[in-house]
Amino acid sequence: MNPRFGVFDRYGGRFVSELLAPALEALASAVDELLASPDFRRRLRRELRTWAGRPTPLTHVPRFSDRCRLDVHLKREDLLHGGAHKTNNVVGQALLAKELGKRRLIAETGAGQHGVATAMAGARQGLAVVVYMGAVDAARQRPNVDRMRLCGAEVRLVESGGATLKEAIDEALRDWVQSVDDTHYVLGTVCGPDPYPRFVAELQRVIGDEARAQILRATGSLPDAIAACVGGGSNSLGLFRAFLVDDVVIFGVEAAGRDTRTGGHGMTLQHGRPGLLHGARSYVLQGNDGQIGDTHSIAAGLDYPGVGPEHAMLHDRGRVRYVGANDAEALAAFDALTRDEGILPALESSHALAFAMNAVERGQLRAGQRLLVNLSGRGDKDLATVIGSRRP
Amino acid sequence: MSAGLLQQELRSRARHLSAFFVLGDPTPRISLDVMLAAVDAGATMLELGLPYNAPCADGPAIQAASRRALAAGTTTDVALELVAILRDARPELPLNLLVYANLVHSRGPREFCRDFATAGASSLLVPDVLLEEGEELRAICLDHGLDSVQLVGPRTPTPRLAAIDAACTGFLYLAALQGVTGSDPDHAGETQGAMQRLREVCANPICLGFGLRSVDDVARAFASGARIAVVGSELARTIGEASASGRDPRDAVAARCRALAVALTAS
Repeated sequence: MNPRFGVFDRYGGRFVSELLAPALEALASAVDELLASPDFRRRLRRELRTWAGRPTPLTHVPRFSDRCRLDVHLKREDLLHGGAHKTNNVVGQALLAKELGKRRLIAETGAGQHGVATAMAGARQGLAVVVYMGAVDAARQRPNVDRMRLCGAEVRLVESGGATLKEAIDEALRDWVQSVDDTHYVLGTVCGPDPYPRFVAELQRVIGDEARAQILRATGSLPDAIAACVGGGSNSLGLFRAFLVDDVVIFGVEAAGRDTRTGGHGMTLQHGRPGLLHGARSYVLQGNDGQIGDTHSIAAGLDYPGVGPEHAMLHDRGRVRYVGANDAEALAAFDALTRDEGILPALESSHALAFAMNAVERGQLRAGQRLLVNLSGRGDKDLATVIGSRRP
Repeated sequence: MSAGLLQQELRSRARHLSAFFVLGDPTPRISLDVMLAAVDAGATMLELGLPYNAPCADGPAIQAASRRALAAGTTTDVALELVAILRDARPELPLNLLVYANLVHSRGPREFCRDFATAGASSLLVPDVLLEEGEELRAICLDHGLDSVQLVGPRTPTPRLAAIDAACTGFLYLAALQGVTGSDPDHAGETQGAMQRLREVCANPICLGFGLRSVDDVARAFASGARIAVVGSELARTIGEASASGRDPRDAVAARCRALAVALTAS
């Protein structure tokens, strides 16, 4: 069942109901047209600069580097408006929704960052916003639920199944099939049916383009390696896309959760197999029959049984090395960066930092090598989880 | 064009009342009895869904049915056994499978189609594979004597309807509403318009489903030109309510089907 639309080798496609075919067709045409339009690119750049705060800085972190025995530089997407890279995608999609004449935005959210970004962009553009969020995620990312509501968004809690990101996407797709006339579905990651994976990756590529120029300016050369956490895979792909043809080792860090043997993790590429989930063929954590698997990660944004089809391609081609960091390692990395550098990373981003802390010891990098890590979001939303994890 | 016996089975009568069930709801054993009770009470065809835990085309009633079936241990192999038993019990009954793509993909499309064709399924509808993405799967269906049923929506453009009709060997399944199964049908005018366009450009029999609940809904479906009317969420709800309140779901479903079957003979 190889895909025909939006193909990344054997992955991608539009595996959705025929009832969504006209909407995806219209969306794909609009995406092609807008991405080729200098005027759209100009408006997007202006909005990212004047409203969202781009470019974000590149920060050298010497104390954290010593701890890692590496030379670590952080791309600071935590400083983007809203507190994570999600805003890059949402600004573009909100402009697209206006072009398409839509009046309402819907979104799914795991960690809440994509929901917050959509709520903010909706307020800014005068569009109504409904965000679907798993009830488990809403409980552990409470500040983000409040932020969405304060921006005027309606947050609908999803109670079914594991009540996390997978269920939120299920429910957003069900809303969209009914509301497609006046509603644009702002998918938050590089998953979903074509054209979402390529559109979202293109909108996130600004991370990598900036970071590549910044590190060249700061150090005079490309880094030896780059790393980012991978849930659905949008912050990582945004970084990776700018380095794919370079002589740079690329690491994608999946959530090893509690236990990789009993299924309490989100290591879709390392422990899943190809399947069809949420509109695309990609790697999927699933049972023998194809029932979608349960996942666990301390980071809501990585607690997902799927991954974008472009990552599946990069995995099969061997261009990106996918590795894991578990809950405890992520918490340790959160502490380390906070104490060493005064930067509170999101628990999702803490997985990429955990990789940095362990890479030399595990033989994945050599001492002294230069590593660029995407700090995809800030950790304010995670304080309850972090502080809770310290109680005896 | 037909790969298997479906068209012949369909020809046995002018109109079909198709009862949709999630295989294994509420348990594999009771599910079998419920389905046979539905047929004895007047359903002339069955649509059999494999339970799935990410059913994006389904509303709350069928999601709950899937959860019950999965909790009761309904695997693909169990579903296969249920189909085989049904086929033995009712050799002439059209049995249309409704299966989400990942369950087909996971078993391997070739193995899936072979196994279910052998068990006695008549046709296969995969609701989350678009026309363009389904070419390989339709060829495999044909190879194994399974007819392929294609879903279309009230807003599918007419040229696309014609293309889908050409690719279809079983029947065209028109969703009566732009939404998920079991929703309130609030675009009746749109459905009528789509039925008319289908009648003009399509050669395959037309089936209407999504949101049909009452004998009036079923009668209206037939009056608008549908050969097959599907009732699904209503029956899933009936099973759920009966199971929750300790009543026998067989009796409850049989009563619903007897009431719906009146539409088969109404003029």
